[in-house]
Amino acid sequence: MRREWLFILGVLVILGLIIFPFYWMLVTATTPADQLMAKVPRLTPSLSHFSVFVEVFSAVPIGTWLRNSAIVAGGTTILCIGLSIFPAYALSRFRFRGKAMLALGLFVTQMLPEAMLLVPLYALFRSFDLLNTLTGLILVNAAFGVPIVTWILKGAIDGIPIDIEEAARIDNCNRFDIVMAIALPLVAPTLAATAVIAFFHGWNEYLFAQTFINSANFYPASVGIAGLVGEYAVPIHLVMSAGIIYTLPAIIFFLIAQRYVVSGLTAGSVKG
Amino acid sequence: MASIKINDVAKQFGALRVIDKLSLEVKDGEFLVLLGPSGCGKSTLLRILAGLEPVTEGEITIDGRRVEQEPPGKRDIAFVFQSYALYPHLTVEQNIAFPLVMKRFRWWMHLPVVGRIMRRRIERDPDLKRTVGDVARILGLTGLMNRLPRTLSGGQRQRVALGRAMVRQPAVFLMDEPLSNLDAKLRTSMRAEIARLHTRLGGTFVYVTHDQVEAMTMGTRIALMRGGVIQQIGTPRELFQNPANIFVARFIGTPPMNLIKAEMNLGTLRVGEASYDWPGAPGHAGSTSVILGVRPGGLSINSRPSPQSTPGVVSLVEHLGTHSIVGVQLDNVEIQKDADQDDDSIMISVNGYSALQVGQRVHVSVDTSGGVLFDAGTGDRMISIASSEHVDFSPTTHKTLGRHV
Repeated sequence: MRREWLFILGVLVILGLIIFPFYWMLVTATTPADQLMAKVPRLTPSLSHFSVFVEVFSAVPIGTWLRNSAIVAGGTTILCIGLSIFPAYALSRFRFRGKAMLALGLFVTQMLPEAMLLVPLYALFRSFDLLNTLTGLILVNAAFGVPIVTWILKGAIDGIPIDIEEAARIDNCNRFDIVMAIALPLVAPTLAATAVIAFFHGWNEYLFAQTFINSANFYPASVGIAGLVGEYAVPIHLVMSAGIIYTLPAIIFFLIAQRYVVSGLTAGSVKG
Repeated sequence: MASIKINDVAKQFGALRVIDKLSLEVKDGEFLVLLGPSGCGKSTLLRILAGLEPVTEGEITIDGRRVEQEPPGKRDIAFVFQSYALYPHLTVEQNIAFPLVMKRFRWWMHLPVVGRIMRRRIERDPDLKRTVGDVARILGLTGLMNRLPRTLSGGQRQRVALGRAMVRQPAVFLMDEPLSNLDAKLRTSMRAEIARLHTRLGGTFVYVTHDQVEAMTMGTRIALMRGGVIQQIGTPRELFQNPANIFVARFIGTPPMNLIKAEMNLGTLRVGEASYDWPGAPGHAGSTSVILGVRPGGLSINSRPSPQSTPGVVSLVEHLGTHSIVGVQLDNVEIQKDADQDDDSIMISVNGYSALQVGQRVHVSVDTSGGVLFDAGTGDRMISIASSEHVDFSPTTHKTLGRHV
């Protein structure tokens, strides 16, 4: 019984550490501007000041920012998954020269800090006219997302019993059919998980967006919200309310994707 | 319906040659069982037939058509896996229909929305539905059509796998130990079911197993393999009664055939202290070392000595209900042991419940009418009384089978 209470206490502490920042964002966002610097801070959100979430839409172009973020995150997700499925299958199932090197190479890309590639990528993007475009952001985010998604998908495809694929070959499937009709439905949970990773990668990305995008029309929300913090004034309640609005779509996407992250889908196909 | 011809097929994995120049013919409508111990190449041969493994060399013809370069889907075969290999994300109905759907499938049907609609249309086709329904009825799966494989029992899954094979009405059914994951009782009933299916469908079956009971009960012919080489091919009865060598003799039958070292001299066979006339034996002078193969039912136990019996001590008594297995260690008689055999006893089958005790002294005589002689050097069969023209041998000992001492 005592152990159980300790466990619950531990969970509550960890949960508090995760949730408190969000709670504090909410409290700060709904605190009137004049009380923000009060000696004794408010500890509960003020219900009468929820209108700040409406005000923020007229005060800053957050709608445009969110749309840009959604395009970048959605594009990154589609591109990441689309470009990863076939390499992941090949790495899992085929034997070819240089396979180990290729797999290692994918890992190495994850070791390079993004900041290091900023300058060469800037030069490259200028040559290809990709500066100040959302397409450019999608491409660069996907480039960093594809290796990790490929690795995760490879692991999932490794788990598909080879017998099922052989049965499909007997049933007149070619490799493309096998990937599309057999492998993909079977790795759907992993696919959903990688979609979450890719989406968040695109949604949260700041460094490249800040560097490659100059026009306010193409700001994603991450850059837009950061831009609210000025040299002379920090409208902290606006920053916080925009921040909350910024996290909501990501949470919704996660909740949708989470439904597909179910385990045990391959159970019962072959005798274990 | 098709015949299969395998001509000089070889298969090499790296430096390891698992099948070497194997030739085999399977007749139209035949139920051929590929039997052998683990690692003998029987599953590899089946996978080569299916096209799941490429051949290193040789030719394969199915129904007069060369197929060794064809992909599995174009060979007009169906394959039943040991692990069932059902598609876990598809229902029973979709699993069975899958081969028929894939026949009409085009690549663009993989596109998200349009493809889904088209696939549904194919699945709803009345002809396809009727075929799938017929197969499900034969296999008793009608009530399970909307279930996913993970909700089925082992036997039901195996039936779905059979259904998926049957639905395409292939020329050849290939089965790779399809019953080995089932429990003993279910295995017996599925064995009968598969044999019935063979009669009903009339297709050519090639069935791989390491279980000799399956082979003996289901096969119209058995090809017994070892080390990638076919040791003997024939009807179950031929393999049981006239094994081509001591490997076949020991592999077929439970308990296996007893192999007793003996001497042959001018038509007389000497086993320890006993001697038997052996008609049809080479009459040349001089003693030849041979191995006498005799089934546990071809030996009898007496309480009294006779010129045709060899004394020994009972080393084991196993009661199996309808009969008992008695192990006897014979005096001054050597037996040909398997690599993993450490006991010198021969096994004798006695009807009913044997009252013999371990340690009891007995006299064992051989009913040579079912005996087989093997060359002591090569292990190949020399002469068999059963296949001999003149069976006039009459042992003077009385058979005690059923009248145990």
